[in-house]
Amino acid sequence: MIQLNNVTKIYPNGAKALVDINLRISKGEFVFLVGPSGAGKSTLVRLLFREEVPTRGQVTLNGRNLVRMREREVPLLRRTIGVIFQDFKLLPNKTVMENAGFALEVLGVPAKEVQARTRSALDMVGLSHKTRAFPGELSGGEQQRVCVARAIINNPALLVADEPTGNLDPETAWEIMDLLYNINKRGTTVVMATHAKDIVNQMKKRVIAIEKGRIARDEEKGAYGYEL
Amino acid sequence: MRRKGLTGMSFSSAQYILRETLNSLKRNPWLSVASIVTVMVSLVILGFSAFFLANASNMANMFESQVEIAAFVQTNLSQSEVLALEDRIKSMPQVASVELVTKDQALLEFGQSLGGKKGDLLSDLGGTNPLPDKLTVKANDPQEVVGLAAELTKLPGLETVSYGQGVVDKLLPFTRWLRWLGAVVVGAFTVASLVLISINIKMNVFSRRREIQIMKLVGASNWFIRWPFLVEGLILGWVGGILAALIVGLGYRWLADYVQMTLAFLPMVQSSALFWQVLVGLILAGMAIGAVGSAFSLRKFLRV
Repeated sequence: MIQLNNVTKIYPNGAKALVDINLRISKGEFVFLVGPSGAGKSTLVRLLFREEVPTRGQVTLNGRNLVRMREREVPLLRRTIGVIFQDFKLLPNKTVMENAGFALEVLGVPAKEVQARTRSALDMVGLSHKTRAFPGELSGGEQQRVCVARAIINNPALLVADEPTGNLDPETAWEIMDLLYNINKRGTTVVMATHAKDIVNQMKKRVIAIEKGRIARDEEKGAYGYEL
Repeated sequence: MRRKGLTGMSFSSAQYILRETLNSLKRNPWLSVASIVTVMVSLVILGFSAFFLANASNMANMFESQVEIAAFVQTNLSQSEVLALEDRIKSMPQVASVELVTKDQALLEFGQSLGGKKGDLLSDLGGTNPLPDKLTVKANDPQEVVGLAAELTKLPGLETVSYGQGVVDKLLPFTRWLRWLGAVVVGAFTVASLVLISINIKMNVFSRRREIQIMKLVGASNWFIRWPFLVEGLILGWVGGILAALIVGLGYRWLADYVQMTLAFLPMVQSSALFWQVLVGLILAGMAIGAVGSAFSLRKFLRV
């Protein structure tokens, strides 16, 4: 489903974020990206929803070449990918309902359908009782649930998460991981960059370790492998 | 799959855009007021400089239209020769009009100006008219008068050619300068207005960059993101344009009346066609500036 061939990313300031990465991720996998800060995890994640384009090499997603893709095809690509961030990226002046439904609204889906689908997404993340609240009135875990709801509302084939539990306490983090686990079970591929050692060790999923822009380790049912 | 045009619009999208525009206006009322005031001030300045340009050029035209060449015909020419000469001058490319004032007409006018009766002056002069026939020549472009006069001097059959040398030589550079000044003033204020307005729009877009980023990430098309800003810019520019048109319209009316009472010799343009053209132009300019300015300021933020 995801394929990276000889991918190198050098930022304009000369920093080599990724060096000659070759990677293949199949449909339905759950993959952790681990490694020290600044090793290139976030860059790799950003390549997947084409927030970045590699300097060299090819990125293919479901047979689509993300490097040669034209600018106006990018929105179409992103509609098939759900993205979750460490800082949630919610709009403070929109309600939970509006934030979660945002991904549908920008597609021009009729209001009634937006409502129904948003409700069921919020149901799934356990927030159906707070649809009218604003993000500022929610806890961190609840905000991240809204973000997850927004990410899955389009039934994406791929869910990309960049340190989704980075701002959460361990207990709340596990609640989010339960959500991601269930989403993965329904067939969605999940790629998650993280520093959460306990989570990686207990989930026993594929672990790809990145160091200095290169793949240092790639194990099925792996462990975090770094001492903090 | 829903069919969409180039701009990614569907009915629910249009609803969304209108709602977003209104929300944005409600959310940042002071930014909206600031934008309207900026557009208004810029357009007021622009409107007044447009009227200044119109008046400057009108004044220049008026001065210049009074410039004419008097070419006096040699007295020994027959009437048919005079008419041939008139035709010849008429056929010159720089010439707008030629008017023949015969010596009889000239004598008559001269006599009237002395207050006498028709026959008196002629008999007083011993039965012969000493005045020459005169050709009054107007140039297409008053700025060419000097060159035209020089060419006329070369024509056989003309005695003297005069165009009020002293006055014209000073007047023509002055009117040219007046037009230039008008154009420079309008140009400078147009640029200043655009800069002011674009700063304001950039602030508005910047205050919503987070929203734009998120829209990009969930797969909104660029046009979908642009529309609310365009509509908002259009509305703000429209309101600013209307206010500016009111101020400029009332202000100019008042100024024109005032000038006419106190400085009657200064001709103010009172054409109502021009008046409405400028005012409608201001409103349209406001809308265009608002919409185009928004779209333009967005470009940087759309590259996520």
